[in-house]
Amino acid sequence: MNKIYFLIFFFISQIIFSQVPEPVSEQDKAIILYNAEVHVGDGTIFKNGYVCFDSGKITHVGDFDDLILSDFQDHLQIDLNKKLIYPGLILPISKVGLEEISAIRATLDHTEIGDINSNIRTLTSYNTDSEMIPTFRYNGILLSQVAPDGDLITGNSSVMMMEGWNWEDAAYKVDNGIHVKWPRKTYPPSRWSGSTEFRVNSNYKSTVDKIHKFLIDSRSYYNRRGSIDENNLKLEAMSDVFSGKKKVYIHANSREQIIESVQTFKRHGINDLVIVGANDAYYTIDFIKENNLPILLNNIHRTPSRNHEDIDLPYKLPYLLYKEGVLVGLTASGSLHSQRNLPFLAGTSVAYGVPKEEALKMISYNTAKILGIDDVTGSLEVGKDANIVVSKGDILDMRTSQIVHAFITGREINLDGKQQILYDRFKRKYSE
Amino acid sequence: MRYILSLLLFISPFLTFSQEGFPLNGVEDVRDNHYAFTNANIIVDYNTKIENGTLIIKNGIITNVGKDITIPEGIRKFDLSGNYIYPSFIDLYTNYAIVENKSRSSSSGWMSSYNNPQMLSNKDGAFSWNESIRPEYNSVENIKFDQKKSNDLRKEGFGSVVSHNMDGIMRGTGTFVSLANDVEQNIILREKASNHFSFMKGSSRQRYPSSLMGAVALMKQSFFDAEWYKANSGKLSQTNLSLSSINDNKGLPKIIEVSDKLRVLLAQKIEKEVGVKFLIKGQGDEYQRIIEIKEGNSDLIIPINYPKPYNVDDPFKNKDILLSQLKHWEMAPSNPYFLEKNGINFSITSHGIKNLSDFRKNLIKSHERGASKSTLLKALTYNPSKFINMDHKIGSLKESFIANFFISDGDIFSRETKILSNWAQGKWHRVADSNINDYEGNYSLVFDTEDNKKIASLILNVTGSKDNPSASILSVSKSDSLRIKTKIIVDDENINISFNIPKGKSGITSGEYKLSGYFSKDRFLGKGTLNNFDWIDWVATKNDSQLMDQDTNKKQNIKKDIGIGKVIYPFVEYGTETLKSQQKILIRGAKLWTLEGDGIIEKGDVLIENGKIVDVGEEISINEKNIKIIDGNGMHLTPGIIDEHSHIALFGVNEGSQSNTAEVRIKDVVNSEDVNIYRQLAGGVTTSQLLHGSANAIGGQSAIVKFRWGSSPEDMIIEEADEYIKFALGENVKRSRAPSSTRFPDTRMGVEQVYIDAFNRARIYENKWKKYNSLTKKEKLSAIIPRKDIELDALSQILNGKMHITCHSYVQSEINMLMKVAEKFDFKVNTFTHILEGYKVADIMARHGAGAGSFSDWWAYKNEVKEAIPYNAALMSQAGVVTSINSDSREMARRLNQEAGKSIKYGNMSEVEAMKLVTLNPAKLLNLDHRIGSIKIGKDADLVLWNDNPLSIYSKPLKTLVDGKIYYDIEEDEILREEIKRERARIISKMKNSNTPMGGRRKPIKTAHFELHCEDEYDYQSTSEN
Repeated sequence: MNKIYFLIFFFISQIIFSQVPEPVSEQDKAIILYNAEVHVGDGTIFKNGYVCFDSGKITHVGDFDDLILSDFQDHLQIDLNKKLIYPGLILPISKVGLEEISAIRATLDHTEIGDINSNIRTLTSYNTDSEMIPTFRYNGILLSQVAPDGDLITGNSSVMMMEGWNWEDAAYKVDNGIHVKWPRKTYPPSRWSGSTEFRVNSNYKSTVDKIHKFLIDSRSYYNRRGSIDENNLKLEAMSDVFSGKKKVYIHANSREQIIESVQTFKRHGINDLVIVGANDAYYTIDFIKENNLPILLNNIHRTPSRNHEDIDLPYKLPYLLYKEGVLVGLTASGSLHSQRNLPFLAGTSVAYGVPKEEALKMISYNTAKILGIDDVTGSLEVGKDANIVVSKGDILDMRTSQIVHAFITGREINLDGKQQILYDRFKRKYSE
Repeated sequence: MRYILSLLLFISPFLTFSQEGFPLNGVEDVRDNHYAFTNANIIVDYNTKIENGTLIIKNGIITNVGKDITIPEGIRKFDLSGNYIYPSFIDLYTNYAIVENKSRSSSSGWMSSYNNPQMLSNKDGAFSWNESIRPEYNSVENIKFDQKKSNDLRKEGFGSVVSHNMDGIMRGTGTFVSLANDVEQNIILREKASNHFSFMKGSSRQRYPSSLMGAVALMKQSFFDAEWYKANSGKLSQTNLSLSSINDNKGLPKIIEVSDKLRVLLAQKIEKEVGVKFLIKGQGDEYQRIIEIKEGNSDLIIPINYPKPYNVDDPFKNKDILLSQLKHWEMAPSNPYFLEKNGINFSITSHGIKNLSDFRKNLIKSHERGASKSTLLKALTYNPSKFINMDHKIGSLKESFIANFFISDGDIFSRETKILSNWAQGKWHRVADSNINDYEGNYSLVFDTEDNKKIASLILNVTGSKDNPSASILSVSKSDSLRIKTKIIVDDENINISFNIPKGKSGITSGEYKLSGYFSKDRFLGKGTLNNFDWIDWVATKNDSQLMDQDTNKKQNIKKDIGIGKVIYPFVEYGTETLKSQQKILIRGAKLWTLEGDGIIEKGDVLIENGKIVDVGEEISINEKNIKIIDGNGMHLTPGIIDEHSHIALFGVNEGSQSNTAEVRIKDVVNSEDVNIYRQLAGGVTTSQLLHGSANAIGGQSAIVKFRWGSSPEDMIIEEADEYIKFALGENVKRSRAPSSTRFPDTRMGVEQVYIDAFNRARIYENKWKKYNSLTKKEKLSAIIPRKDIELDALSQILNGKMHITCHSYVQSEINMLMKVAEKFDFKVNTFTHILEGYKVADIMARHGAGAGSFSDWWAYKNEVKEAIPYNAALMSQAGVVTSINSDSREMARRLNQEAGKSIKYGNMSEVEAMKLVTLNPAKLLNLDHRIGSIKIGKDADLVLWNDNPLSIYSKPLKTLVDGKIYYDIEEDEILREEIKRERARIISKMKNSNTPMGGRRKPIKTAHFELHCEDEYDYQSTSEN
């Protein structure tokens, strides 16, 4: 009798305490998803299409006719019944895995002390058991570039999978970029000062000089690599930037910030740059085009920065950049919990001018290009990783988005998390 | 004439500070200052002028004034032919000569005052509990004669001012002083001339009030307390000198300073509530809300501190200048004209002008913009004297009036006119050294050197003012158009002129000329050196050349202003010149989301008249012509979106200084000029509950508004809507984010007790009044009248079901707790807002009858929301709770329809039920479902026409109607955008071409538009100073 109670207790506690689903093992059988509308992610749509994948890689994708099925007898065959297939979505700038409850300091691991933190890396702090992760997967986000926060040079990001037993498992591309928060020229007034005028940052020049000197010294360090006896961790961390292995992500919003930051890095021979934020991109398109800068655009669900701006300026910013041929990925910056709404940012950009498949690119293919992972993911092309999402309806619209399957490198993951468990529990309570 | 005036220099060259009864150090020197001023243009008052008149003064008083009056024999006569005598200006709004008390320690920063708040007054004595209530303060006791400031004011024509200490909400009395150079004992014209107020707490370090609405409540309560104190005179066991002072000074004019045009309206509202009349000191932007201000029927004091232009050379920096800043730069000088045109009585103050010497320039500008001379004069003389009941003594030049006047060499509204002297209390004060030494003109310059006798071929040209002239040397010969830069420096009577003559000029010795001399009878003369070596004699004699006249003409032509923009409502971007009007509208063939009955009519018509929905159905037939038909084919029509939880369009959101601030009202701080109103109309929002924040257990009273873009704050508030009040539970109330806090409560246990205590006190309060009201007339005479308490009034309204609670809440325990407290006191909690764990107690809520306003998918931003789930709305609805989705975000409110759409994804709600989450359900929660929330005959025509399914991310409002008026139209929006660009361009180019030098311009700098959230709590401070 006691044993039974114990088992029941054990079972219940499993439900309560294992709200993050257990990771799944590697794909052991080839799968064909068919009878579906396939959005490849590069702009192609197969209205009646299929996708095959084996050992974690996509093996076939294309138009489907019934004959095909017989060629895939050894595959697990899933009839999707006109559902939609998308590439796994990519969140390009996130603190996922580094933050649980934003108001509780103890749960925060994204901002380190100091302002030149080129040696800091997010990789080893990524918590695969974060309760945030299931909420992202539930909306089709399967990969995230986890970036540090802070001042000036904040450290290295890594692209992580939303699945895995530990960070080592979950790593997708390690230390792929250095992040720089470009200093502000003006600060908002303090709220309780009574003033509404921005204040000039009197330290701007000296702060920029700090970056400037760091680049001189790290370049010199790189040029003399091999002949220096004493390692310097901070300078060392820049070597991959100079050798072209690592990108630099410049977080900058105003026209002045964008121009001054890019000019500074280019002067130091660093050309593989990405602008993150770019709130004022509208006023900076000339410079962005001239310098071929890819943009990870700040959360477009915001109000315009200035009263006189078009009331929908943030909403249509993706279109204005797309129209000019700028490579744009969308970020869902802001509070971490709301980043699960990434696909709806793409939806908004559709409502304000971007063609649907182009908007999809902005959260998949373009983002993969900008992060330097388009050789392995970002679209449903043969040879790429099987990072796949299946939805009952249009994934960019909350009215229709219902994710039913998701595969990360071919592994079908469990979409439910704590939120779904609680929902089921109380739905049952109120149905009785 | 000039000669005579110059004598004045010697009549009264030093001050004689002496007065009766004081010991004397020396011999007595009493003079009667008995003078006559003849042949002058005398401005007796703002609309009476005597030409060739005479004014006689004696002992500081005007003894006679008129055209043909007898002048007592022997007294000194000053012939003022061609000159003007004006009554001196009176400034009611200054802190002239006030000695500030010791400045309070400001060492405690904001954070420490937050963690460890000062709850009571630190002031010694039996005064108010709050340091910003200081009606006992008398400015007259703190006056110290200020020579420099009085001189600066006299230069501009002022002769007397009301002065007060600009500190606090109740600031005590102001004193009326003349600007004569004299000891304090001699300059006070009225000890207590006025009573001063503001909505700014000033130097007080006490936490309360920390918001504008708190300041309003404190002011109101203080007025009520004073009445109560007086009514119970002799019966109370307590003494409160602050309250006595309020009563003692009740008869004085009440001057209140406000920070902008909307706060003028606020002051007009408050004066009715407390039964006083304010004289309102505005900020010069009254023209932006002139109609409403006029309706309030107030006298005003306005500044003429017109803004400086921006440096507009960088097109990208220009984007940070607001349209309102551009337009105000252009329109501010027209403010007096607007006031005059609307028949508003006002006086003008020099307050707010950084450089006092700009005062007259701005006065003249006001005249050039259309304000009449008599109105402006009245605003500086008669009105201020009338406002402080001194019009029988000052403000005009009449017999027995105080001899406060100034003499100018022309009409004061002409730029060329100079004030020569200013007479305060019959005492002469030099302003300009009269015009005897006006050097402007051309002079023949002749040298006497050893080798170069009598060269007369140079002309010295002097321009500019006497104090700051500029000069150049011209050659007379036509062939040789020589113009040499020349330096001229005037140091009192000593004049220096220096220049270099280049080589090769015929007949003139080249070299450095340095001349020093003086001015006498139209000529300069003296000695100098040539090349620092040879001494020379020189003389420059004035000739009557006409050379100058062209220049003067040019100067006058510059000043003509052409093409000033129009006032827009509200005075920000996307405002319009005319307000929207109602018309008869038929919307044809749209998919109607009626949310009544079956919820949807696939293709239907809606007829709108007088702001109401008058018909709904399929193919409504009409045969009128005068009707606007909107083709809704392929479109969706829904009721306007209602945001149950919003903080836009507000000046401040939290009065978080005490755990219970039921007395404060969001209605006092509605900002009709917030561009977010328009942006949200563009997202289909038509009604919002503007809530107090969640910094304390009992917050303030709500404002439920319709987004009538362009209306005043008062007109946005929904007529006859129920009253609501904000409560809050949990982490914010406990101040969980502060490292430590000494404010009660610190736990959820304490929060419960705050409520029980508050309602308990409200009961006792009610009973006290009941008991008192039941007394007979006779018994009442001896009984103590209970104190009116606006905080307890609000709480007792809750007990009586006349005010409903909207309670910020997250976890299930506290939700349940508040319902139990309410049940104990026999009322219902109307709405739990946020309520992210509502799904856990939805059955209990349904039984209690509470509704819910929730976020769609927020969670994890703090500990109390870690179990928040996006299925909350669906689950609560399932359990029978009236549920809405709200924003608490100015951006998300624009997409509330999409937030509702998420309930399909999370919880599988039907589309109709999902749409109700942001329309009919919040209407129910606000007890307004009889008016709004669905498409039904008889309801208000608050409607949104969408291009697509309104729950979809792809849909956009095409038109948004409130009360049958189209406040947002996607096509009109395009036009407005274009107009904003054009108007900005027009003013920027005007600004560029204005003749203000770079140094006098402002740098464009971004203005912050803080988004207010529930948790925002910050002190507002005095911001009225520029």
